[in-house]
Amino acid sequence: MTTKTSLLKVILLGDGGVGKSSIMNRYVTNKFDAHLFHTIGVEFLNKDLEVDGHQVTLQIWDTAGQERFRSLRTPFYRGSDCCLLTFSVDDNQSFLNLGNWKKEFIYYADVKEPEKFPFVVLGNKLDVTERQVSTEEAQQWCKENGDYPYYETSAKDSTNVAIAFEEAVRRVLAMDERTDHLIPTDTVKLHRKPRSAATCCS
Amino acid sequence: VSVMAEQSRRCSYFFLYDASKVTGESDPTRDGICYFYPEETPIDKQELLCGQLAGVGRCVSELSSSPVRFLRLHRNKYAIRMKDDFFWALGCSAEVPTISVCELLDQLINIFCFYNGSVRQSYQMNTRETLAARWARYLSNLQSASSELHHIFSSLKTIDSTNVDPLLLLKAALILQACQRCPLVLAGCVLFRGRVLSTQMSPQLTMKVMVHESETYTKSQRPNGPSSSSSLSAVSSTTVFLTLSELQYLQSPPVDKLSRSHSTPQKDAPPKKTRLSRTLSDMASTESDSSDPGPSQRISFSPWLSDSDNSSFSLAPPQIIADPQSPPPQSPVPPLSNGKNSREAEEALKDSFYQSFHSNGDGDGFIHNNGDSSVFEGNSHFSGGEGDGGTACGNVFDLQGAESHDDEAMVGDGGVGCGRAQGRHKAQQRDLAPCSGAFEYPGESPLVPMTLYLHRVKGLVLALLVEPHFLSDTASMEEVYHSSLASLNGLEAHLRTISSGAPGTPGPYIFAHFDCIQSTLTTNLSGGPGGALEHPFVRATSLLHLHFCNTETLQEAIIRSAGAAVYGTRSVAQETYFQQQGGSLRNSGIPNHQDSAFLLPSKARHRLLKHGVNLL
Repeated sequence: MTTKTSLLKVILLGDGGVGKSSIMNRYVTNKFDAHLFHTIGVEFLNKDLEVDGHQVTLQIWDTAGQERFRSLRTPFYRGSDCCLLTFSVDDNQSFLNLGNWKKEFIYYADVKEPEKFPFVVLGNKLDVTERQVSTEEAQQWCKENGDYPYYETSAKDSTNVAIAFEEAVRRVLAMDERTDHLIPTDTVKLHRKPRSAATCCS
Repeated sequence: VSVMAEQSRRCSYFFLYDASKVTGESDPTRDGICYFYPEETPIDKQELLCGQLAGVGRCVSELSSSPVRFLRLHRNKYAIRMKDDFFWALGCSAEVPTISVCELLDQLINIFCFYNGSVRQSYQMNTRETLAARWARYLSNLQSASSELHHIFSSLKTIDSTNVDPLLLLKAALILQACQRCPLVLAGCVLFRGRVLSTQMSPQLTMKVMVHESETYTKSQRPNGPSSSSSLSAVSSTTVFLTLSELQYLQSPPVDKLSRSHSTPQKDAPPKKTRLSRTLSDMASTESDSSDPGPSQRISFSPWLSDSDNSSFSLAPPQIIADPQSPPPQSPVPPLSNGKNSREAEEALKDSFYQSFHSNGDGDGFIHNNGDSSVFEGNSHFSGGEGDGGTACGNVFDLQGAESHDDEAMVGDGGVGCGRAQGRHKAQQRDLAPCSGAFEYPGESPLVPMTLYLHRVKGLVLALLVEPHFLSDTASMEEVYHSSLASLNGLEAHLRTISSGAPGTPGPYIFAHFDCIQSTLTTNLSGGPGGALEHPFVRATSLLHLHFCNTETLQEAIIRSAGAAVYGTRSVAQETYFQQQGGSLRNSGIPNHQDSAFLLPSKARHRLLKHGVNLL
């Protein structure tokens, strides 16, 4: 079963300008463009990787952070396996909005058990010198909201970007294994991807 | 019903005849027939038609000493084109507006030249069978899929913008702009399921590009659906040939293009392709226009260019000096002299244009009538002169050398200098004197090889015209590929969900609105082979369109039968047709002031506002 490649959909959410597109581009194409335009609606890229012996294709969905693009982005939350809540360490407001982003995601993705859904929190723009959000504050928020893993990243200099995505994959895989054990075999989760379904049947 | 069936197959005959193959008395006519449609036509009949039309064509041309453009024979109309020994004829039923027949033939020849280069050379390098298959493909492509209304106006197939969030049109436009950050990319368009979403090119050029797109789409559909692999295999390319004027238009900066549509062209704008940086001011400007898929995409702000003439003038020198290909400046005030050169060059270009324009016998009146002097948009048709025109052309290209690395080749071609005018008004003008010829000939101007690059994501295609060496420039290829891939993926996902929307119900009225500048059609007709209700509207529209084309002063008209009345109105930039459905027409046979047909203009004005059509 481990040889089968599964498709995992992860989605980047967060305020406009925190660097969601840059994180995705850095991870997939290893490029950084300081002059990226606002994302309109959604965009995505695929990346194949291996985590702990599992071959996965990560489908990374990048979304528009601005409020006016809300109606364009929300239809694409469904079917996500993991949500990367992103803020910028030099923008306190983007940090304060994390809760709203989480709410919006749970509502539109129609998550059945929100407390179990794998979120990962990213504090981007680690390279800037004037921080507005301390590491401790961010860690505190993650702890209080569901014990989410927290990574401080820099899409500009590539710090922690790959590690964060790999952690996201691990969380999803761990979730799958847990549900495989817990859920009786006669239920089929329709939005789950091939790998888990195959494990179900074995 | 049989009339409809015949009309949906627009063209009843098409052939290309090469007179150079039939020189001696004993040479059979069939030797000269390069391609004949329908192919199943008996060879005797082919020979009869080719012989007669070619004979009449040559005879009339010699008598009138101007090429024949149009012939009528029995119940068919034939658009005629002649070049060297080649003779093209395309026949349609007499119902089709004359201008549509001529446009169809021009389109067909232009498409052939776009993908194959010069006709003579193509026939030297390929077998007749190979090229026959291509003519057949282009012809079937032109006749397929679009509605009768699209045929009448020869309009582009565009996405139904009522179903699409304007922000997605903006997204498409931004993808194109991002690609243009690579200097080897001239311009492009984004297509979805064979329809235009956004284009940076003229309607004529966009139409040509779409032919290839629809061919690759058909191919990709054949083997078990589109492949889902995200590799570079989604990318393809082919060689294409641009006319000199098309190339000049693409290489001129956006602001320059913009200024051409005003009555006072900005003469001092340096002929350099602007690199578009994506900034908030771009966003604001584009977004405000984004409900309108057309010119807003071409209009891009470049702060230093939009300044006054003086400041752009003073900014020009650094570019010229930085140009590695231009000789080091000799004069003590190099920037000025250089700048002046370019200005003089443009001046000369325009002068020579005016000369040739007047020598063609058209008065000033035409320019004024059209207001926006679209004649400039066509990039000066200079009369094959080795004099001023040729020199000027060389100069202009020299300055563009910084951007286009192929300048040597182009300077060479530039000397010949026979630009082909673009734009819709050309077509109208042609129709004013349909048989005058001389002004525009398909496939006449020198052709410059370029590359058409296609990146497909399922039903969505990014098509770019690029310099030929783009394909060997791995860094540029990757830059363009990676800068657009995520956005294309996303755009495709958006469009896939939207386009499933059911076509709107017909409602109490039918309308068709044709934008002559962008060559786009907006209508609430279903588009498929029309129902009984739609047919009178389509026929009336066809007839009114013909009248508008033939009578330049005609602005409004109502055409009616016992059961229906259709109102048509036009301006320089648009034509609109409107029919109120249902409700019996109060029609006594003699026009009176209570006749409900006279209410059509005001009804059209009110009803069409919500479709974004402003007739006020």
